[in-house]
Amino acid sequence: MQAQATQITHAYKQAPWRVQRQWVGAFLLALIGIAMIAALYLDVTARAAMAGREIQELRFEITAIQRANADLETELADMTSTAAMQRRALELGYRPVKPGELDYVPVPGFSAPEPAILLAAEDTVPHDQSLPPEYSQSLIEWFDERIKFGGFQP
Amino acid sequence: MRQQYAVRSLILVAGLVVVALAVIVQIIRIQNSEQAMIFLSQGDRYAGEFSMFYPERGEIYDRNGHLLAGNRTVFEVGVSLNEMRDPDAMAYTLGTYLGLTYEEVRNRLINSPDGWEYIVVQDYVGADTVTSLQELMQQLDDAEDPRLSGLGFKPHYQRSYPETALASNVLGFVTRDGRGYFGIEEKYNDLLAGNPVQVWVPRDPNKAMEIPRVPNGTTLVLTLNRDLQAKVESILDESLSKYGAENGTVIVMDPRNGEILAMAATPRMNLNDYGNYFSLYDNGSQYNRSIGMAYEPGSVIKVLTMAAALDAGTVRPDTSFIDTGSIDVGGITIQNWNRDAWGQQNMIGCLQHSLNVCMAWISSQMGTHSFYDYMERFGFGHPTGIDLAGEAMGRLKVPGDTDWYPVDLGTNAFGQGVTVTPLQMLMAVSAVANDGKMVTPHVLYSMLRDGHQYNVPSQYAGSPIKADTARTLNEMLAISLEEESSSALLPGYRLAGKTGTAQIPTDFGYDTFRTNVSFIGWGPVDDPQFMVYVWLQKPTASIWSSETAAPVFSQVAEQTVILLNIPPDNIRNQLAAK
Repeated sequence: MQAQATQITHAYKQAPWRVQRQWVGAFLLALIGIAMIAALYLDVTARAAMAGREIQELRFEITAIQRANADLETELADMTSTAAMQRRALELGYRPVKPGELDYVPVPGFSAPEPAILLAAEDTVPHDQSLPPEYSQSLIEWFDERIKFGGFQP
Repeated sequence: MRQQYAVRSLILVAGLVVVALAVIVQIIRIQNSEQAMIFLSQGDRYAGEFSMFYPERGEIYDRNGHLLAGNRTVFEVGVSLNEMRDPDAMAYTLGTYLGLTYEEVRNRLINSPDGWEYIVVQDYVGADTVTSLQELMQQLDDAEDPRLSGLGFKPHYQRSYPETALASNVLGFVTRDGRGYFGIEEKYNDLLAGNPVQVWVPRDPNKAMEIPRVPNGTTLVLTLNRDLQAKVESILDESLSKYGAENGTVIVMDPRNGEILAMAATPRMNLNDYGNYFSLYDNGSQYNRSIGMAYEPGSVIKVLTMAAALDAGTVRPDTSFIDTGSIDVGGITIQNWNRDAWGQQNMIGCLQHSLNVCMAWISSQMGTHSFYDYMERFGFGHPTGIDLAGEAMGRLKVPGDTDWYPVDLGTNAFGQGVTVTPLQMLMAVSAVANDGKMVTPHVLYSMLRDGHQYNVPSQYAGSPIKADTARTLNEMLAISLEEESSSALLPGYRLAGKTGTAQIPTDFGYDTFRTNVSFIGWGPVDDPQFMVYVWLQKPTASIWSSETAAPVFSQVAEQTVILLNIPPDNIRNQLAAK
């Protein structure tokens, strides 16, 4: 009885239609795998391209804003130039002061403030930064990095 | 039957394999052919473009943060010839908006050289004009009218000077090729301009990271006080008109650290229109007479002769001198400015009455070695080292030079036969106002780059005289100014100073009708905070410094104490005592 069951199982395994189905299954599995990887690759590449384009546009925008900033600064300087301020002061009824008209008041601890241009000398200029790898890495590079440095944690 | 089918299948498979192999071979051959290389290089050409990234030129501010030189956007207006549809409409429109003639524009559009795809019609076009053109293009686009197809605008910076001519002699200017000329713009051109970078800019968005960031040029903060500069220029202009002088210069410096607070000279030019340079100046030395033009200064140099003699111990303030009206030096007779004999004088009297004979006697007593040693210590014959382009260094003839004569020892003592720039005089006399320490004049206060600030330290240029000598002479000059009832005085403030009236050398000897008038002064005497040098060329209202340069000094000193918040002496002493 035992031997008969083994014989039937063996015969089933060796059935030609069974072998063909296994091949077809394996082929389809491989095809699905390749399709998934291709889709993932396409998705990542498309995202990277979009991000790159966005970066380019932002850089153009930064340049335009810097130009506008320079223009506004110069325009402001035009409006507050010595000649313009003097003209406006005279129109408002002011006149140049004379030495005898000045009062000097001692203010303990007072020191003349630094000009704004010097106070503003903080790190406002962006340094040359490289893009995060997420924006430029290929899928293969990403896999390689994960394997080298371990883990697939987000 | 089955076997026959199998053979046919094999033949078919073999045929397909051969075809497939042929296709692969052909692919490989094409990929590696010469034509493929050409196509690849063409593809690379369109994959991006070489672009030159010019940094924004650094700005220039005065010490209180007022913008003196900035940048504004202008446009290059050009036409892509391949996209142009209607040259007549384009020529008419651009001619109208850009102030060109229709024929001129059309000729350039139609007759452009072979192979040109883009042509610049006009550069440095203002934003207003470009905005109007862009609005017109938009209207045509909305109407799907292609008459202005191909018209393009490329923005870039242009130097802009909000104060137009203010401090033009100090700032210099920038031409359209981006190079600075004269003054700060030339001296610090490399710092201001930054480093242009030429890079390949890919169109592939995946390579966006390869576009470099170009840091802006260094921003400079100057020691100039804009408001004082404006006042000084105004006073100078009025003085030229009032006294009929050809040109002039006024410098205000802090004697404690060499910071130039104001430096006015004539003529000045609107820096936004540097094209008028050649109509204003015959040569570069005239651009800033304060540093570029050496002249015989006359009696202002007596301050230094006296400083040297006091320091060397040749004379003391109470040393007596009998002025007979003339003295023989090197076989030549030297006389006083009015040819009179002033009788017995002490050294304060010699300064007060500006006696040439007394000064020639002093230098003779010192001897050539000692006198010229001091004059060299005061920096004569050498540039001051100020951070402005175009500095002259004057000429101090010394024994041994082929054109030096013994009489020069006498004439040099009262400022004839020696040439100096106004700034050299100011630097030399700073030793008297600053306890014997001579300061190096400078215009740069601070540099700002990448968010960091670098302050420029003050430098001493040596100590040509002792501190005691400086204090003694300071007092002597204050007394001589007070006793002379000089028009240089300023009520409420004790000042020290000296006039200078110099004859002008010509090819035929000294001009007897025209003079250069100068005045050097500083204050407050007990704590000098400002020094002023005035030079007026060939005044016609009076040839004397006491009647021309001295009142100008007083006006400048008045504005200086107001704008620098220097209280009158009595109030200052009261405040100090609290």
